[in-house]
Amino acid sequence: MRCPIPIADCHGHLGVHPDFPAYQCTLPEMIGVMDHLNLQVLAITSTRACYTDCPAGNAEVARALEQYPARFRGYITVNPYPEGQALVELEQWKHFHWPPLIKLHPALHQYPIHGPGYRPVWDYANQTGALVLVHTWDSDPLCSPLLLLDLAREFSRTRIIIGHSGVTWRGYHQALEVATQAENTFLDLTGSQSHRTILEKMVAQVGAERILFGSDLPFLDAAITLGRVMTARISDAHKEAILRTNFLRLLGEEG
Amino acid sequence: MRFASLAELFVREIADWHVFDANVRVGPSGVHGELALETGELLAEMDRFGIEKALVSHWTAEEYDAREGNRLLETLGRGGRLVRAWAALPDQDSIGELVADRPRAVRLHFAAQKHNFSPAVWCSGELYAYLQDHSVLTLVTLEDIGWERLVEVLNNFSRLPILLLETGYRADRYLFPLLRRFSNLYFDTSTYVAHRQLESFVQRFGSERVVFGSRLPLYTPGAALAILASARIPDADRMKIAGENLRRLLEGARP
Repeated sequence: MRCPIPIADCHGHLGVHPDFPAYQCTLPEMIGVMDHLNLQVLAITSTRACYTDCPAGNAEVARALEQYPARFRGYITVNPYPEGQALVELEQWKHFHWPPLIKLHPALHQYPIHGPGYRPVWDYANQTGALVLVHTWDSDPLCSPLLLLDLAREFSRTRIIIGHSGVTWRGYHQALEVATQAENTFLDLTGSQSHRTILEKMVAQVGAERILFGSDLPFLDAAITLGRVMTARISDAHKEAILRTNFLRLLGEEG
Repeated sequence: MRFASLAELFVREIADWHVFDANVRVGPSGVHGELALETGELLAEMDRFGIEKALVSHWTAEEYDAREGNRLLETLGRGGRLVRAWAALPDQDSIGELVADRPRAVRLHFAAQKHNFSPAVWCSGELYAYLQDHSVLTLVTLEDIGWERLVEVLNNFSRLPILLLETGYRADRYLFPLLRRFSNLYFDTSTYVAHRQLESFVQRFGSERVVFGSRLPLYTPGAALAILASARIPDADRMKIAGENLRRLLEGARP
């Protein structure tokens, strides 16, 4: 199965994970899978950075971007701790992309997305018009989608991708509630839970233009989202927007 | 559009697989009301995805009354596209009904909010003995039984065919040693969705122990079908997973 439309994917990774075996996650293996599915562009964040070490993880992303500049875009992943490190990282790796792509993982970093430790990052993102991908989970006190509404309003020049759209059935509805009220938020389809009818509901409620294809490759199988989108009861024009053009537009790479 | 409908392309690829879905529920649900499907709606959804047959249990059995749910399954008829997976309980009355009605598959619901009985041998041993003696395919979710109880059952009933549903994608460090040790253990693909996990599994273990499952009506079958469709495995293995393995298991039952 290969998608006839070259996909632009807003949510990928680089690296392994502690709690289950990783398969085919070297850069050449990832490229092989991307070619197999017709995944043209993948925006990656370092899994090492999400778990344990932002400077080392962001350096891994830098090497991947050097090796495959046409295929990857790079998020700078930052952690509120140690204090001050986030802004140093944002400055050091600002050549990844401009405006910056920033990844925040409040669940793994165990820090609330609306806490004061993230304020310098949100200020930076707002000043630069950054695209910020935030990991979210249904009702999580650290990263519920609902926590993003006030942030989206306060930092209105920032474009916030609601990572995983809250994951669960209820989480998706929380993400939808936020997206309905804040135009600078975007719904990411990445996730292991493939709720029936939710994509159709998202298109009906917020429009296809703010829905993004995401895979979690090489954490989850990119075919999950591909199958969801290809078989959804929405128009092919909407599918093309979701699979490709919406994220390219956010990257400033349309056309 | 410059391409055929994306949904048509998708289903065209699956058309000759004779998909037999191992993980489906039918009927009204108090918990999942918005997603639940009555028989006609379920069949229409299966048609949309090219799913030929499904092994179904009834929400009424799971959420309310096992006997009532089983009676409703009877109304689906026999020999059609929907094959019944009975709800069985660990008492003599329920075992007597199994003897009388002779289903080829059962789905056990141990959880406190469901049928509220222990999967341990001291509680369910007589039920397992009947199911083993008649090679009745026994469906359980990992969430309901847990790894350690599953091992206890496998240790005591080495000829009971157990189909473990919804293992999740973090399962391999448990699943692999159990599959090596117990030849009567099988699992479904519905939540086995890590990056290239299914194709890596087939390369390591072959395709005999895994069956296609969608988790309809909660999940769209598009995701699990796309993973199977995009797995870089021989087509003969794809056919086994799509339906042949489940057909073989059900034909092996001697109720």
